[in-house]
Amino acid sequence: MKHALSLKIGPASFRIGSAWRQPVEALARLYADYPTPVDEVADFTVRLEPAGLFRRWFRPSIYITGDHGLADAAPMSLAHGLLAAEMGMNLQMALGWRRHLLLHASSVEKDGRALVMTGESGSGKSTLAAQLGERGWRLMGDEFALLDLATGAVFPFPRLVSLKNGAIDVLAAEASPARMGPLLAGTAKGDIRHLIPRSEAVGRMGEGALPALLLFPRFGHEADIRTVGQGEVFMRLTQASTNYVALGEPGFAALTPFVKNVPARAIDFPSGDDAVALVERLWEELA
Amino acid sequence: MPRRYCQDSPDAIASCVLEDMVLLYHRPSGQTHMVISPVPEILATLEEGAALTAGEVHVELTRLYDPGPAEEAVPQVEAHLAELTTLGLVRIA
Repeated sequence: MKHALSLKIGPASFRIGSAWRQPVEALARLYADYPTPVDEVADFTVRLEPAGLFRRWFRPSIYITGDHGLADAAPMSLAHGLLAAEMGMNLQMALGWRRHLLLHASSVEKDGRALVMTGESGSGKSTLAAQLGERGWRLMGDEFALLDLATGAVFPFPRLVSLKNGAIDVLAAEASPARMGPLLAGTAKGDIRHLIPRSEAVGRMGEGALPALLLFPRFGHEADIRTVGQGEVFMRLTQASTNYVALGEPGFAALTPFVKNVPARAIDFPSGDDAVALVERLWEELA
Repeated sequence: MPRRYCQDSPDAIASCVLEDMVLLYHRPSGQTHMVISPVPEILATLEEGAALTAGEVHVELTRLYDPGPAEEAVPQVEAHLAELTTLGLVRIA
């Protein structure tokens, strides 16, 4: 394709091609400190193509495709090209990654052990991981946690953190402006700004950690902590995994020790600061 | 003649006991089933190649548990065996 870039994020490498210059330039700036794959065939290709014959120039509209694609994916405006590239990479991981059990979860690490947080979109798991990543924890990822099939360790996938709506100002107050991406206003999920993880998160992106605590956060409710039975944990984690079924027995063998051995709690919280305090307390008590 | 039931194959199932249920991974289908008592106990009576009727399963269960009087428990065991057959975890011998 006309414009292209290679990236390595955690264990996965990507080749991103685009019909337009802008999305690749934005990626190159935000991923400048990430390693560049050398002489390596990328695990995945992502292509940002014009949605129609003239859509490269006339009301430019991006169709996201690659090794794996969704037939009914809605085209996106060129102004949201950076988001399209990020979604393209997420899509490849969600549909194609087989080397780990992939959990739709955020994760952070402290003292060699990992905290994993999973929940639906809007639950606050991404914002909470980003906040912890600014306050002494190592951010491992805001979107995917990779559970090693042999060792049970969680491995990082520290892509850019995707901050949405209210979370943008919360993190902009903590992180330096140089680590913030452009404001992408009016996307399907509202306003979005990307945050470059701290250099430690990028530098140690090959380093896994054994999971020590699992949380199901829920933002916007009175503070509450609830124990979650192992059956419910198993069900919610299989729902949160995009490749549990595809992996077969190795997926079962990797997930069941996680469910049996890692303490799990559902936490409700009214604000980010409340959540950070709650997490620190539970980590002290349970991890 | 009452039906005889056996496990799908000797190594068809990998199981994992959780606090509140048992997970059964069925290797031939790749499906994971979440079951609660008395299903794991019924499946256990069919281990080591046993091919039993619902009545015989009930007799085996009474050795370890109290499944209740046969006239009520045997039809329930038969219903569970029929469900397990539908899922592929049990076969008619």
